[in-house]
Amino acid sequence: MNDPGRVEAIAGMVRMETHDREALGELITEMTHTVYRHEEVYGQYCTVVTHIDCPARDVFDYMADPRSLPEWTYSVRSLRPTARPGLLVGRDGKDTPIYCRTVSNAEAMTVDYHCAWDQGDELWMVYLNRVVPAPLVLGRPGAVVVWTNCRHPYYDANPFPERAPEQRREWVGDWWPLFYAGHAIELRNLKVLLEHRHRHGLPIAPRDVPGAEP
Amino acid sequence: MMQVSLLGVAAYMPETEVGNEAFADGAGERRGMFTAPKTRRWVGREETAASMIEKACGTLSQRLDLDFARDVDIIFTNVAVPDQAFTGCGADVAHRIGAKPRWVVDLHNTGCVSFIYMIELARAIMSANDARGALLCTVQNAAGRVFSNPAVRSSSQSPVPGDGCGVGFVAAGDVAPIVSLVHRVHPGNASDMVAYADDGRHYWEPGLSPILLGFTPERVASIIERGNRMVPDMVMEACVAAGVDHRELDLLVTNQPNPIFLRNWREALELPAERHHDTYARYGNLFGAGIPVNLDDALAQGKLAPGALVGLGGFAHAGDYTAAAVMRWRADR
Repeated sequence: MNDPGRVEAIAGMVRMETHDREALGELITEMTHTVYRHEEVYGQYCTVVTHIDCPARDVFDYMADPRSLPEWTYSVRSLRPTARPGLLVGRDGKDTPIYCRTVSNAEAMTVDYHCAWDQGDELWMVYLNRVVPAPLVLGRPGAVVVWTNCRHPYYDANPFPERAPEQRREWVGDWWPLFYAGHAIELRNLKVLLEHRHRHGLPIAPRDVPGAEP
Repeated sequence: MMQVSLLGVAAYMPETEVGNEAFADGAGERRGMFTAPKTRRWVGREETAASMIEKACGTLSQRLDLDFARDVDIIFTNVAVPDQAFTGCGADVAHRIGAKPRWVVDLHNTGCVSFIYMIELARAIMSANDARGALLCTVQNAAGRVFSNPAVRSSSQSPVPGDGCGVGFVAAGDVAPIVSLVHRVHPGNASDMVAYADDGRHYWEPGLSPILLGFTPERVASIIERGNRMVPDMVMEACVAAGVDHRELDLLVTNQPNPIFLRNWREALELPAERHHDTYARYGNLFGAGIPVNLDDALAQGKLAPGALVGLGGFAHAGDYTAAAVMRWRADR
């Protein structure tokens, strides 16, 4: 009875025992707006979602292979192994080194890219992806991909300015306000590419991107 | 504070109309922040801000039957590229139109929202003194004076600005009442817009390199985000202060940096396009002249009905100043 961890003892929750339908109705009508500010929706977390007309297992296998990144991202290129197992380094755009470790779970079909600009010691730019079979959730063939980024404090201030290329003035976090659009464009790239290969019966796996150094 | 009214507005647009062929190939097809207007006006080399204001004031005095010597106690000016390096043109304006103001205020801040800021200053000065009439003068002349330079015409932002002059007359009384007005300075954004030359010379140093206006590159995303957010926030705040729902605004008039901001502002305020009047396609970014020129254009097109509830709003430069107002347009015209 006196367990301070029992649910009734925890303040700040909304359950029918404390909020009847009327009280809940007041809350949810207040919370439901016609328009939400961009900052409210994408200020701290940025999630983009799409349906891809390609089997979920194929989508997962493709994304779990980091060589796919130079194909569907806007600017990650030339990924190659480092001395550390599983850690790749490439470039983002013209001259920014980007480090990336892919952590995937085949059973859950999650593919997380743990990345960072300039250094590979602390991988704090984490791209969380989950692939869901579309028959399960949409009643149609294909896959649903959910991609989320969280606004790590390093987005707001480069913790390793001494590691940045000399000429570079911008920081990855400068673009956080445009992450929704940027990630939506890249997710659309992923959709267009996978649907093309699937529709034409082509091998799904990533190819070597021409012009990329080994 | 004293009740003041915006009794009327007038505009003067420079004669030279410039199409997109004047700029880099493909300028007319650009999208986003550098969406080109179809046309814009450029001031000529000899056209001064004072002469533009004089012409707009001619129209204004006819419309409102003003006697400048009798009716104008205060003159405000805001000019994008001042006629003289050391002083503003307010006294020159007074001389040209025969006004005898006791206050001349040449504002060098609040750019794109200077018209709203001038209303607030007029109200403050009138509340503290016996001034009763204020002439508000805004001039955008950076297109002809800066962006027409052959060396900068090919830059992405050069097609966007356009020149023009808008003036307004504010008087004590409640004929066309300013119901609410909010304004705010954001010091942290002050250094995100810079005038620069590619060779690093300061604008006052001798040299042949053209001067450009631009945003600090690493701040662009932040400026877009704050631009999207600040203007609807301020208009909503002004609406709350006026006791009206922002969706009830009959007309919204803002500054017009580009069509993306215009779209995002009216979407955020849940207003249909026809109730957010702009002249971007014809005149481009009119900086501080945007609000009075758009009011004048709305009036000419019958979009500003007698007694209409009007929202004004905007942000200056890279977001260093924001302002908004709600007013009731006069019922008699």
